[in-house]
Amino acid sequence: MQFGVMQRGVFPQGEDMRARFGELMEQARLMETLGYDSITKGSHYSTYPMHEMMQLPYLSRVMAEAPSLRLNAGIVLLALQKPLDIAEQFATMDLMSGGRMIFGCALGYRDVEYKGFGVPRGAGRKRFEENLEAVKRLWTGEPVTMTGSHFELDGARISVPLVQKPHPPIWVGANADPAIVRAARLGDCWYVNPHQRLDTLERQLVLYKRTLDEESKPFPAEFPIRREVFCAPTHEEAVRIAGPALKSMYEAYEEWGQDKVMPEGDNDISMRYAELAKGRFIVGSPDEVAEEMLHYHRVLGVNHIIMSVQGTGLPQSQTLETLELIATEVFPRVRQGM
Amino acid sequence: MATFDFGIMTRAQYRRDEDIPARFTELMEQARLAEKLGYVSFVKGQHFSSDPFYEFQQIPLLCRIAAEAPSLRLVTGINLLTLHKPLDVAEQIATLDLMSGGKVVFGCGLGYRDVEYKAFGVPKGQGARRFEENLEAVKKLLAGGPVTMKGSHFELDEARLSVPLVQTPRPPIWIGANADVAIERAARLGDCWYISAHHRFDTLQRQVDLYKRALDRLGKPYPAEIPFRRETFVANSREEAIEMVRPYLGLKYQAYHAWGQDKVMPEGDNDLGQDFNDLLEGRFVLGSPEQVAEEIIKFHRAFGVNHMPLCLQWPGMPQSMTLEAMHRFAEEVLPLVRQGI
Repeated sequence: MQFGVMQRGVFPQGEDMRARFGELMEQARLMETLGYDSITKGSHYSTYPMHEMMQLPYLSRVMAEAPSLRLNAGIVLLALQKPLDIAEQFATMDLMSGGRMIFGCALGYRDVEYKGFGVPRGAGRKRFEENLEAVKRLWTGEPVTMTGSHFELDGARISVPLVQKPHPPIWVGANADPAIVRAARLGDCWYVNPHQRLDTLERQLVLYKRTLDEESKPFPAEFPIRREVFCAPTHEEAVRIAGPALKSMYEAYEEWGQDKVMPEGDNDISMRYAELAKGRFIVGSPDEVAEEMLHYHRVLGVNHIIMSVQGTGLPQSQTLETLELIATEVFPRVRQGM
Repeated sequence: MATFDFGIMTRAQYRRDEDIPARFTELMEQARLAEKLGYVSFVKGQHFSSDPFYEFQQIPLLCRIAAEAPSLRLVTGINLLTLHKPLDVAEQIATLDLMSGGKVVFGCGLGYRDVEYKAFGVPKGQGARRFEENLEAVKKLLAGGPVTMKGSHFELDEARLSVPLVQTPRPPIWIGANADVAIERAARLGDCWYISAHHRFDTLQRQVDLYKRALDRLGKPYPAEIPFRRETFVANSREEAIEMVRPYLGLKYQAYHAWGQDKVMPEGDNDLGQDFNDLLEGRFVLGSPEQVAEEIIKFHRAFGVNHMPLCLQWPGMPQSMTLEAMHRFAEEVLPLVRQGI
């Protein structure tokens, strides 16, 4: 089992962002010493009313603080981008990090982003697929000639060679059923999303496996999942601290329309914390958190858990404490239990 | 008292037979040394599909250097703004400004290579238009409030920066320009013209005059900071400097010629493919510390330049030569320049 941390880096307006940035670097250094495996940074633009740092600049900077952790761009809003730009930036980052990049990618869903990048809403899926094809071809390192709907590669080739061969792992994020089929078809693995309940994921896993079979692809050796995780010495304390932060974060998701791309029957994220948490968040004492992680492993086969531990508004001291508690109390329990 | 500062301009371009991970480690060493020796800035250009060279990407590299040399200003010199979406660029600049504690300079220009325009889906004839609307959008976004603006290839619908800038009101905007029309645009839209590395002294005399007249017409003062980059090297004599850099600098300018850089340069000074001995006249600053300082002082007196990113490494050139030159510029040339201006 690999353990990673999602550094969402999302803070409310009015926060001292320079101080918060310094704290994120401190978290990264702590993760390095505690033996975490990866750092994940998501991507959104125009994130008002929240503050958020940009993904690839952030990962390029944090790699200096945590030189042994893998760096997961989870996820790149690939439908918005130009493939040469993304392929080139990842090649440079793979080189700078000594081959530690993970390329997470998905479509995105926010209007302000699609408009800002001049992508017609209906073209998202097509652009995602052709962009991913172009990125994969560019990552061979050879000159590529390909005409897409919004770009033309005319003998273009990436400017530095990749360290990872054949290329950084491609994790495809997916919420909706058609997106899961796409992840099976196009990705090295499905990057299991944080929002859906475990029972929904069990159903979707069947779909994923069936599609892999149809494509004659084996079940991936690395199967990652992202979850909201918080750990405290007791169950009550964990819920008391993390509950309000997680609830307010999901209110923001709802406002952005995240629930509109979730499947029928599990697309209401507006309920009370206790209901929202069920099968969705991993919050509790070290025993509970370890048990829940093992449950996910047994039911879904996941072997890389990416934890969001700093929900909106959680102070630095509590984040550092929970990082330490998870590493010292949860890692060994999970590894023993597998 | 007039001030004068050096920066390091790296293209981070290498021959395809070089050990590229080793070159990256060396580049970090250059950044640390630059900080130690009192250089004020680190500049990185931008190209995609950089055949025949290897090249690191601009924003990822500058973000990494922010960790290595936290006191240096970090200059996108230049960002090919025509190719990008303004929200993407403004957001990345803002994050870098935050992570570096307000050290970013946003240099930008049009670009000229077909392979780049095509890959970003930009029709070649739309370069100037996209550059201008993108820059307008970037400036509006950098102002911090919600922006509503319809461009030819994007729409900002109450979009706004996700992190606040550290620099107020915003990072300086340097505009790279080669052609006369681009220089007038730099006067109109930039905080300053980032003076080209490629042009001869006599060409610059004419173009700086053009730049000043354009500023006058706009009622804008001559900028307090005038940056200019030059291909430069210091050795014990001019002859020695020329012989040392010839294989590397010569190769770089052959590639510029093949890429078509000189097609956007003004008539009468638009052949970068000429013989190296002819090419270097009035264009490259090469010599002993005294000769180099004298040449720089000449540029300062003529154009008021006061921030000079040095181009000290070209594809294939060994690290030891660059480090030695960095020492000599900081320790021998800069004191002479500061005394002489």
